[in-house]
Amino acid sequence: MSFETAQRLTEILLALALLQQSLEHLGGGRSAVRLFAPRIVLCLLMLFGVQSGWAVAGLALLGLPILVRFQGPYNGGSDRMGLLILFCLCLTHFAPGQTGREAAFGYLAVQLVLSYLISGWVKIVNPDWRSGRALRDVFRFSAYPVSENLRALAGCPRVVLAMSWAVMLFEIAFPASLLNPATLGIGLTVAALFHLANAVLFGLNRFFWTWLAAYPSILWFQDRFVVPMLG
Amino acid sequence: MRSGLALLAPALIPSWRFFDTIAASPRIEFARLPSADAPVAMWQEFRPRPRCLTLGTILGRLFWNPVWNETLFMTSCAERLLDTPTPHSVEEIATRIAATLDPALPGPFFRFRLILVSRDGEALRREVAYVSPLRRIPAA
Repeated sequence: MSFETAQRLTEILLALALLQQSLEHLGGGRSAVRLFAPRIVLCLLMLFGVQSGWAVAGLALLGLPILVRFQGPYNGGSDRMGLLILFCLCLTHFAPGQTGREAAFGYLAVQLVLSYLISGWVKIVNPDWRSGRALRDVFRFSAYPVSENLRALAGCPRVVLAMSWAVMLFEIAFPASLLNPATLGIGLTVAALFHLANAVLFGLNRFFWTWLAAYPSILWFQDRFVVPMLG
Repeated sequence: MRSGLALLAPALIPSWRFFDTIAASPRIEFARLPSADAPVAMWQEFRPRPRCLTLGTILGRLFWNPVWNETLFMTSCAERLLDTPTPHSVEEIATRIAATLDPALPGPFFRFRLILVSRDGEALRREVAYVSPLRRIPAA
């Protein structure tokens, strides 16, 4: 995938993700409208490719008062990933020289890989995750399950153990999917299904859309660096 | 209040340590009160989760999920409040609870509290971790 195609695809996917989030905030009173109505306008510009460089810069800058308003991300990791994509995209437009622009987009691709690898690593070194206990606790008493009947999964230790290992192995193995285009296609499909499962079980819909927006960067990164390196 | 740049740094250099440990989890409860000095007769869980969700609701929430996302934000505020108390966290939780309370109903005041749920061996332990000051429900 070419740099320009990946950059444009990222802009479109992120615009859709941020639009969806911003529309959800419009019911939050006048102060929310003051922050999120301009964000909707900038998202539309980015979506349709109208002055998209300036739209990205505007969205990145607008991220600061939004962070201050909520004294942190509104929805944890998904908002942080959204900001990371915005700032990397901003540099792909304004960094001096093609090398600087590629370094910024490459940084996003590397962070995407790390988001799975580190998440998998911190779990696999934890005995509670290896025994299935941690995921049972998530279902049993954490704030995440979207309905009470999902808590019953905590009473199915074998199912939860299998789920725990599936998550850990997928996350740890994700970097290996960079080896060739076919494995990356499989890796990204599994990753998207993983985020979909998190959206269904824990209501983390923002993660699903935001992480998808980072996928073009890794498709470009593989074409640009990994495939030539492996010959 | 933390500055925008201090809050931005973890986004640009992320740690990606999702669910590394499963800590005690806060629940938000509230109680309406008829007068400023009335004792709390009964605490109510704020936005208890439904027994189950239909497939249509689950799929719909992929595209439109403001209430659940707000509830997750309130949980973050509750965690922040227990970790490093700030007026911001108290205000965010109280404002959102107040917005769901009908001012026309009896009881012009309310308090909220945070219950920490954790595992103690095989049992679940619930302890009161915070009780808010009295708040007046704003007029419609």
